[in-house]
Amino acid sequence: MRGPYIDMKGLEYSYPDGTPALRGVSFGVGRGEAVGLVGANGAGKSTLLLALTGLIEPSSGVIDIGGTVLSKGTAPEVRRRLGLIFQDPEDQLFMPTVFDDVAFGPINQGVTGEALAARVASALESVGAGHLADRPGYRLSGGEKRSAAIAAVLSMGPEILLMDEPSSGLDPKGRRGLIDLLAGFPHTRLIAAHDLDLVLDVCPRTIVLHRGEVAADGPTLEIFQDRALLERCSLEPPLSLQGLFGGRTAADDVTLGR
Amino acid sequence: MSGSFGRGIGSVNSTRDFALLRSPVHSVDARSKWVVTLAFAVTVTSFGKYDISRVMPLFLYPFVITALSGLPVPAVAKRAAAALPFILLVGVFNPLIDREPMAGLGPVVLSGGWVSFISILVRSTLIVSSVVLLAMTTQPDNLFAALGSLGVPSALVVQLQFMNRYIGLLAGEVERTLRAHSLRSPGKGGGVPVLVSGPMLGGLLLRTMDRGSRIHRAMVSRGFDGAVRTARPSPFSPRRDGLFICAWLAYFALARFVDLPGVLLGVIGG
Repeated sequence: MRGPYIDMKGLEYSYPDGTPALRGVSFGVGRGEAVGLVGANGAGKSTLLLALTGLIEPSSGVIDIGGTVLSKGTAPEVRRRLGLIFQDPEDQLFMPTVFDDVAFGPINQGVTGEALAARVASALESVGAGHLADRPGYRLSGGEKRSAAIAAVLSMGPEILLMDEPSSGLDPKGRRGLIDLLAGFPHTRLIAAHDLDLVLDVCPRTIVLHRGEVAADGPTLEIFQDRALLERCSLEPPLSLQGLFGGRTAADDVTLGR
Repeated sequence: MSGSFGRGIGSVNSTRDFALLRSPVHSVDARSKWVVTLAFAVTVTSFGKYDISRVMPLFLYPFVITALSGLPVPAVAKRAAAALPFILLVGVFNPLIDREPMAGLGPVVLSGGWVSFISILVRSTLIVSSVVLLAMTTQPDNLFAALGSLGVPSALVVQLQFMNRYIGLLAGEVERTLRAHSLRSPGKGGGVPVLVSGPMLGGLLLRTMDRGSRIHRAMVSRGFDGAVRTARPSPFSPRRDGLFICAWLAYFALARFVDLPGVLLGVIGG
């Protein structure tokens, strides 16, 4: 049996002030698998994604991406396989236009000329943002920024997509469009999110992080139905499942005229 | 931190918007524009400190560039005027130091100090306008990449590129901070009291540094290796750029070595 495509063992990391962020995190993700990473604020989700891309160095532990052990020396090679989509899309849009932003990664990979233009056009089309190419990033709406940021990562042809709160700041329609987009990607996906409904729709498997440790790892539906686990980890069931617990739902509020 | 400072720095992003327009001037290679702008600045500064009329024909350059680029005159004038306080500061003591009578305008006699002050004002306005036009007609990355290909060390070019990005960040943060302040201090005219401006500036610095490091991470994760490469480098066209450079250098030389206003007055006066 082949091992996991992303494999991490015993990851430890503390912030510069000494606060531990990751405490012995170990799990694997198979090729093409979509895994949700959920947890309360400060659980270590964003830190874990940064560690996976080599942007921060864990104090101990091993990260293996497709057979390459992540280190300072291998980080550039590993990053070619990974696409990290940041929580705030504005952090990813730093070039004068969307075209330039989407082209930034491929240019650094040595792609030029017509191949570059084709790569950019294809990435923008895949997120339905072809019409935004000549617009400056800071003039886009929240949903457009998110699409452009995803295109900027897709243009590099990554095998793995790491996403940090991909639905934050999106309106319901933009969020639905994003869910459909993410569900259709063939990439290996690790999605850190507070939006548990998005995780439920996109990821068959979920990992719960609590205070820097893996509190649970299993099928998404099972985990989201485990109320005791969710409460212990300061989470709430996704809205679409809340009716199953016999509690009051948004729909009940409407019926009661509240 | 005054409202005008906030408005000034807030115009950084709109300056970038203007650089994305398309026009005959925008399409000229950034290196050509650097060469012409530097030649213009050298020509303007080469005149004597009491020369005013001889410098006036050089106003043709900003006028023609503004017209050809399709930029709104008020937008250019507003950005050029931002340097006015500094220009005034440089020349304001001249009338006090140099009181020698030099020129007469009817019954009014101007001292050498006033003439040199007006000359500084005119020449500085010309140079600042040319630099503003350079920034408003050229994408920042092309502008800095051109410096690299003109022989400026790459370490300096990368510093300039990062500074340019940092100014953009700062502009956004200042805009948001001032908006938040004005919403919570109604009726105060938009100004920020000195006592508040200290902590506000400190907070701004920390937030922009934090944001800067996140952007740097985003760049590194997309293969940034210390050199910012542009997707659309402005290619040098021998015909277009050759014409642009030769025509303007020829005109600057003409304005420098021939007394054009004198010739014009001679022609008019017969």
